[in-house]
Amino acid sequence: MTDWELVQKCQAGETSAFQELVSRYHQKVYMVILGLLRHREDALEVAQETFFRAYRKINSFQGGSSFYTWIYRIAVNISIDAQRRHKRNPLDFRESMDGVLEAQDEVVRDPFSDVHDRELRENLVKAINELTPEHKAVIVLRTIEGLSYKDIGEILGCSEGTVMSRLHYARKKLQDKLSDFL
Amino acid sequence: MTSCENTRESIGRWLDGELSAAESEAVRGHVSACAVCDETRRQLEKIGATLKSVLATEAARVELTPFWREVQSRINRKRAWYEDLLDWSRGLLAAPRVAWAVPTVIALLLGLFSLDSYWPGWRIRGSRNSFAAVDSIDAHGRSVALLRENETKTTVIWLYEDQEGENETAEEASKSGPAF
Repeated sequence: MTDWELVQKCQAGETSAFQELVSRYHQKVYMVILGLLRHREDALEVAQETFFRAYRKINSFQGGSSFYTWIYRIAVNISIDAQRRHKRNPLDFRESMDGVLEAQDEVVRDPFSDVHDRELRENLVKAINELTPEHKAVIVLRTIEGLSYKDIGEILGCSEGTVMSRLHYARKKLQDKLSDFL
Repeated sequence: MTSCENTRESIGRWLDGELSAAESEAVRGHVSACAVCDETRRQLEKIGATLKSVLATEAARVELTPFWREVQSRINRKRAWYEDLLDWSRGLLAAPRVAWAVPTVIALLLGLFSLDSYWPGWRIRGSRNSFAAVDSIDAHGRSVALLRENETKTTVIWLYEDQEGENETAEEASKSGPAF
């Protein structure tokens, strides 16, 4: 069943259809939010709030865009609000990301990547955190699901040209900062 | 052949599949023949793969059942009226809406303040109007009219009757200037 069909069922009052949408997107939405907030507990909280708000606004979704574009837009907006409300100090940030990276050492090798260098991961996380929220958002959205520039522009409310230049700048920055580890 | 500089500008878009077929082929041809640009490609791919790996590994730990339970409990919870109001106001102040609202308000204010240039005498404050205040006082037996156009501009008009014998006195008075 397509996302749009599930949305229509949900608009007709079938909560189980919404549960199916949550099961399809909860991990991807969580990844986007974690990429922006860099704090596990905050990311989980914001991801749950994202789906809650999506449920409440589901009747306003008319299918003009993809469901994932719509849900990512809600997630990015709430993440930016959350960032403004809880500006964490650098120590908090290090602790939270140490937790994420340590947790990754416990798990088995990632089947999606050849790279398992802890030093690279640590420095990548640090370098991404030094990007502005706008640059962070484009690189995370592009990386996670390979979204097109058009979709990213729709999510962030900017043009494809802006997405392109932000991506170019963000990649250049990351490349410069990580040149010793690549 | 495409230059290294041009290729490095386009290499990200090429990896993202955002180039036309012809552009894509040009970049592919250059990268396959240029070790420096191929290294750039490798580094960009590695950055992408590492970031995805970091986030995907973490996301895999988020289980659906407890996640959905929490979402469901929020859906079922009865919301207070002020929470709905807060949500509504958040939507109203959403960035895209504020983005056009701010310049619109500025343009309106500028228009309001520049109305005086088009309609002289028009004032924002109600107390200021297009009528000048005229006071008349008596000075040395002659009438002096004060025309107040605004707070800083006052025009003095001497009014006197052209009578013989009084000319001398009038000249003296005009030399000494206004008596206020």
